[in-house]
Amino acid sequence: LREEELIMTEINSHPDDSLWRTVPLPWWAAGILLGLVQVLAIALVKPMSVSEPFVVVDTKVLNRIAPEYSENHPLLSDEQYKKFGYGGWFNIGIILGACFAALHLRTWKIRTVSGWWQRNHNAPVLLRLIGGFCGGVFLLLGAGLAYGCITGQFISGWTQLSLSAIPFTITLFAFGMLVAYLVYPKKPNRFSQEE
Amino acid sequence: MSNPIVGLIMGVIFGASLVLTGLTNPDKIIGALRLKDFYAIRTVAVFLLVGILGTWILDLFGAAHFDIMPAVILPLLIGGAFLGIGLGLTGFSPATGLASAASGRIDAVITVIGMIFGAHVYILIYPSIVVPLERILNFGSVTLPQITGASAAFWVIPIFAAGSLALFITRSKEPRDEKQHIKAGDSGLSEEFPDPMSSKPIAIQKSLYLKSDCLKAACVFRRWKNLLFMVMLLCLLLNQASFWLVSTGQIEITDNTNNAAPAKESSNPQIFGYDVTFERLTSVLRIANIVLIFTSLLYCLIMYFGMGVSFKGQLGGLGHIGGALFMSLIIFVLLVPWQNFFGAIAMGATFTPNELARWCTTDISDTFGMALFYLRFSGYWTLVLLLLLLAQLRSFRWARIILR
Repeated sequence: LREEELIMTEINSHPDDSLWRTVPLPWWAAGILLGLVQVLAIALVKPMSVSEPFVVVDTKVLNRIAPEYSENHPLLSDEQYKKFGYGGWFNIGIILGACFAALHLRTWKIRTVSGWWQRNHNAPVLLRLIGGFCGGVFLLLGAGLAYGCITGQFISGWTQLSLSAIPFTITLFAFGMLVAYLVYPKKPNRFSQEE
Repeated sequence: MSNPIVGLIMGVIFGASLVLTGLTNPDKIIGALRLKDFYAIRTVAVFLLVGILGTWILDLFGAAHFDIMPAVILPLLIGGAFLGIGLGLTGFSPATGLASAASGRIDAVITVIGMIFGAHVYILIYPSIVVPLERILNFGSVTLPQITGASAAFWVIPIFAAGSLALFITRSKEPRDEKQHIKAGDSGLSEEFPDPMSSKPIAIQKSLYLKSDCLKAACVFRRWKNLLFMVMLLCLLLNQASFWLVSTGQIEITDNTNNAAPAKESSNPQIFGYDVTFERLTSVLRIANIVLIFTSLLYCLIMYFGMGVSFKGQLGGLGHIGGALFMSLIIFVLLVPWQNFFGAIAMGATFTPNELARWCTTDISDTFGMALFYLRFSGYWTLVLLLLLLAQLRSFRWARIILR
């Protein structure tokens, strides 16, 4: 037993091996934490959703710069998309909370590429940024079409056992896995060098 | 309570938990989509299970604020595909994108800017594309319990149980990796510093003791497993025999409630000079059912412990015992009389005497009804029997491998 303890301390003190336990929480604790946040949100206001304020921001801009166009537009004239209320502050809260948590955990660091990208594309930063931009366009376009993003439709939909979550989940994972396979064919040697 | 302050506080909590859970790391998401890193999958699975259960409990107390999206199939399919493309390309979902951007990822910042443009594209295409799509295949804002007409408990409890069980069974992956890691470090150390007093011989001796101990345990387990198998087989045969006796009219069905004496007592078959009436059969069937369910549970546990022993002592045959464990679990699930809990929606392979009497007394004239009748009582039973034989065969192979 003493030998094992020695080895354990050796491993724990070794800087390379400490990277093995990179994520702060084990999966079950992480899932329970997020699940409780969702339950709290449902108890207080409504299930969490993230994508709507993006549409609200654009609606506000379009209402300002093209009032004639937006008057006849079925979405822009909708009262729901005119006020930057709970949802908008929720997103600002996400930014603040994430920033605070990252600073507190000392993981706040300027980064541009991920481990999988580095392994597969030899780290051209510009391409990653362009890919990120295109991916962002797809993300919000899809979220708009599907009445909610991954939080708003996949998580909240399943949480409420909504019928809408089923077709969404099927294509989400089918296309997600296909695109991930095409873009990131090679596996990095060690997962998650950071965070 | 949908005021900005509550929104801000909820957002802070959610953003902080996203960073705490590490889902803001795009490597985790890509690893999950490539099925190489199961952290994110397991986290999201627990997230969903806790959410489903918590929402159901809230709803029981009338405290849940639902916001159900309309089930319009085509936009959901297309939107899901677009979100999948975005997720696979970047490794961010809108929520984790925001959180990642806040924790210093430049690519996430660019993704968030892309998302604002995406919202713009959505607004532009909305009148010409989205509005026509919303008119077809629109099922409205409904939930699964509403469609099926079952209570929410019928959906929530099985989903929660199955999900937790699946997570529980597959959980041991990470600790095992750690153990292997320690072992690798162990051998590395003793190679680097060849020491006469090194721990190597002790370790070998220890592992030998462990191995012989585990072998003994495996022998005991095998004996009990075979005994349980025989008991289960006997109970299953009793079960089926009683079905055939009743369905072919060998035994007259009597109503237990009004104690009417069976008119054709003499027509009942006699076994060893013992009159077999439906009442006696009923008690036999009940005992057989109870014994069957308990023994199948014990059978699962024996398989599980057998696997544990086989793993701990590094005896081999893990594939066989794993398959046997899985099959015995399926047998257990199939045997539980679900019809007593959920009505006619779910059925177990075991049947109560009352159910048998009800099925046999109702007139079945059409072919479909007959097929259903025999499938329910005989087909289901055959399936369980087959699974049991397969499980026994696989565990037999396991025993042969480790005791060789």
